[in-house]
Amino acid sequence: MYKKFFSGLIALIVLSMLVVACAPQTTATPEATQPPAAETAAPQVTEEPTMPATEQPTEAPQEPIKIGFFSPTTGFAAADGTSALQSAQLAVKIINENGGVLGRQLELVFYDDAAKPDQASAIARKLIEQDKVVAAVSGSYSGATRAAAPIFQEAGIPMLSAYAIHPDITKTGNMIYRIGTLANVEGRVGAELVGKVMNLKKVAILTVDNDFGISLTDGFKQHAAELGLEIVLEEKYPLGETEFRPIIGKIKSSGAEVVYATGYYNEAANLVTQMKDEGLNIPIIGQEGYDSPKFIELAGPAAEGVIITTDLNRDSDRPMTRTFLEQYKATYGEDADMVGASAFDAVMVLAYAIKTAGSTDPMAIVNAIANLKDFEDVATGPFWNFTADREVVRPVSSQIVKDGAFHLYHEFDDIKLVTP
Amino acid sequence: MDFAQNLSNAIILGCTYLLMAAGLTMVYGVLKVLHIAHASVYTIGAFVGVLVYSWVGNFWLSLLIAMIFSGVFGILIYRFSYYYLLDVPRTVPLIASIGLFVMLTDLLQKPFLMGPYQRAFPAGGAGLPRIDTPWFSITSKQLLIFSVTIVLMVLVYLLLTRTRIGLGWQAASLDREMAAAVGINLNRIIALNFFIGSALAGAAGVLVGIYNNSVFATMGDLPSYKAFIIIVLGGMGSLPGAILASLLLAIVENFLVASIGYVLPRDSIAFLVLILMLMFRPHGLLGQE
Amino acid sequence: MSTGYLLTIFTFIAIYISLALSLNILVGFAGQISLGQAAFFGIGAYTSAVLAIRYSLPFTIDFISAILITGFVGLFLGLPSLRVRHDFLVLATMGINFVVISVFKYVDFFGGAMGLVNIPAPVLFGISFRGGVPYFILSSIYALLTLGLCWYISKTWSGLAFQTIRSDEDAAASVGVSSARYKIYAFGISAAIAGGAGSLYAHFIGSVFPDTFAFVESIAILSMVIFGGVGTLRGPIIGAIILRLTPELLRFISDYRFTLYGALLVLMMLFQPMGILGNGSWLWQKLHPNNRDVANTPQMEVK
Repeated sequence: MYKKFFSGLIALIVLSMLVVACAPQTTATPEATQPPAAETAAPQVTEEPTMPATEQPTEAPQEPIKIGFFSPTTGFAAADGTSALQSAQLAVKIINENGGVLGRQLELVFYDDAAKPDQASAIARKLIEQDKVVAAVSGSYSGATRAAAPIFQEAGIPMLSAYAIHPDITKTGNMIYRIGTLANVEGRVGAELVGKVMNLKKVAILTVDNDFGISLTDGFKQHAAELGLEIVLEEKYPLGETEFRPIIGKIKSSGAEVVYATGYYNEAANLVTQMKDEGLNIPIIGQEGYDSPKFIELAGPAAEGVIITTDLNRDSDRPMTRTFLEQYKATYGEDADMVGASAFDAVMVLAYAIKTAGSTDPMAIVNAIANLKDFEDVATGPFWNFTADREVVRPVSSQIVKDGAFHLYHEFDDIKLVTP
Repeated sequence: MDFAQNLSNAIILGCTYLLMAAGLTMVYGVLKVLHIAHASVYTIGAFVGVLVYSWVGNFWLSLLIAMIFSGVFGILIYRFSYYYLLDVPRTVPLIASIGLFVMLTDLLQKPFLMGPYQRAFPAGGAGLPRIDTPWFSITSKQLLIFSVTIVLMVLVYLLLTRTRIGLGWQAASLDREMAAAVGINLNRIIALNFFIGSALAGAAGVLVGIYNNSVFATMGDLPSYKAFIIIVLGGMGSLPGAILASLLLAIVENFLVASIGYVLPRDSIAFLVLILMLMFRPHGLLGQE
Repeated sequence: MSTGYLLTIFTFIAIYISLALSLNILVGFAGQISLGQAAFFGIGAYTSAVLAIRYSLPFTIDFISAILITGFVGLFLGLPSLRVRHDFLVLATMGINFVVISVFKYVDFFGGAMGLVNIPAPVLFGISFRGGVPYFILSSIYALLTLGLCWYISKTWSGLAFQTIRSDEDAAASVGVSSARYKIYAFGISAAIAGGAGSLYAHFIGSVFPDTFAFVESIAILSMVIFGGVGTLRGPIIGAIILRLTPELLRFISDYRFTLYGALLVLMMLFQPMGILGNGSWLWQKLHPNNRDVANTPQMEVK
């Protein structure tokens, strides 16, 4: 009896799964579903009466502009994916609170890709054909972004990659742009920091064995050769490594004056803690992979003095940076990170492009992005322009951990250095 | 100096492997089940540890509560899954175990439990001193891991060799049916077995959480794969074998990295060793035919 | 639902049907539980990607080479199965999966962690196609061919031998069936089919990355076989369809899909270890009250 009941239960679960129709998770803000607040408030605003009265009724019932978004909120990359999603939602909220785009609300259509290429390619088709998005933002890793890019390109729908760093993503075609600084540019900035700003010579390099770490190290080594730095040790370590002690022993005996260590905040936290434990007190240069409040939390006192290169300058007094950092903290109760800031900026750039284009026509949007100049409405900006290869050009910041927080160390705004 | 330091670091690493592998090999000894969901018990132990620590701020209390919680959780896993799968082909409990592991890992990642983020476990070395010798240093965290591991292993050894129920456990791991035939209460033995094994995994979770100052939902994956390798090396079900294999694996890994660097990731080296071992000495270093 | 999206989903389902059927040859017919099928999937995908990108070879050659090379690797990697059984084999195959992935990651020839990208779209009969109806047809044909091969294996003498290995290895040896030979065959055939599926996957997605073929993927493929019904032909097909389709249909609970997968596996093992449509399963007995197959499946029954 017992057995039969459960068999029936399993059959029921399975059947119900098959029957249920699909329902995309949309994240329209409440304002999108209610009658626009502006309409009721209109009589009180003095500027309103000057606008042609006939336009208002036609604009009010218009559908929201749909922007596709995918990021990994499950699986190994869930932390980054969640941060990216929350920041993109925040950007949409801010845009809609300020009247939306072209008089319409923005709506984010989100799917979880678990950072898997096959999921991402299915999601790309779904966003294009079923949800009819006008443009999309990838808040995901390189593999998934790389799989989705050709599908958007073929469909002629613009896609912005927020923080995926594989160089080939933007080579897909004219519809694909990137918001984050290319990893080998950031690597070059790292070498500049060591050689020009800190005036050190002997470097030990630790590379995390994925596309991110390898691109960074490539950029670093290229510029290090130009600056005449001496690389006394180079080691590659696997993602998720927790035991750096044997390598630290090698760094000690290599005579390095500084460590350039690529990786993410969890590996980095272990690395810097173990370096202090083993009594190795030379400066550590990290990069945007460290850029998370979690790094400071996990590394504790060992994080003090660590310098990173990143896109997000937390001491910036630019209004949009402040808005992002403060509103993120207020909305989600956590401090924002670089991944989130990039996803936020991707949505801001799209909104700007649609506004400038004056329509949701894909080519008009792409042209607006291509012609973007000195754009300030981003958290990690300003964005000076995009190159012909659809990569962003903007200053790169370096931050130092002081009293348990990231603070500005040096700003790199040499156009030659930061242009991909 | 490098040699001594590497060796002492490797022994500490071996201790963290051992606590995880000991529970796994005990479960295998009696049930002959590859308990993949053991990884989840380890993570839950660390999670409970960090929660209790954030409330009371006392390391020893949080270790104790985490161990008891993990132990009870282990018994529950047994009672609601393997209990029904004792006399079926061994692939059935294995797949059930994979299912449990996938389910628990995913659930732990949800925001109402651990969320996708890592959290700090700032218990430090629980007040133990740092030891500096001319040849090597042991940090207070390392001393903590070392001493807790030794104490726990001695306790388990005494329990299994000096008590009635421990002798029953030994009989059951030799031959379950025979043990039942001579009047040993198998259910109690197996429950105890799961309690001890899971409590050890919980302790391992807490200690590694403190050592790396981070606790997160998927922290159990790699240690559990490694624990499988260790129990094969040590001979499935053999506790002394697991001790030897844990230390050996950690030493080989650390010295390989220190001398050559990462030819392959640490885990792949370990798995290569496993495959070769299975080909040429399938019953482990200390196991018997 | 839109056609392009549906076609993408169905193309993946066809590829995964082939994968599930290939693993079923090992698990269902030969009784060798493997947690490393994603490694063969990956070897096929990488073979195809390397030949297409580095040597600019046409799709047909990539595809056939992927099948042959993965098959040979399968024969070789099947060797541990001669020495070890049961749980040990599970661990060995799991180890193989880890080692294969790290080779992809650490050897620059395979693109390392950067993966291999820009795999050209396949060209058949002078037509280039990426995705769409033609690709769906191509992968469906492959799934059907796989099904045919599985049917042939299950019906012929060698199928009998496979089944003998599964039920009792010692007995198989004593009646003169060389179980060693058939275990290796099973590994080879299973790997070859997975390799072909990998080739189809690589050309469909256009890029390959090591982590796509990691251990969790092996668990997913095994879940399909077990969930549908191990040892049958319909089981892996149904398993692949249901487990691939539900996350697409259930986006609103997609955050919990792995919880659901895991729970389903546990419940299946507790109450329906033969899978939802396996021989002797509740549903299958309801559908076929006078089924004769039941007697043939002694392996996975609950007491």
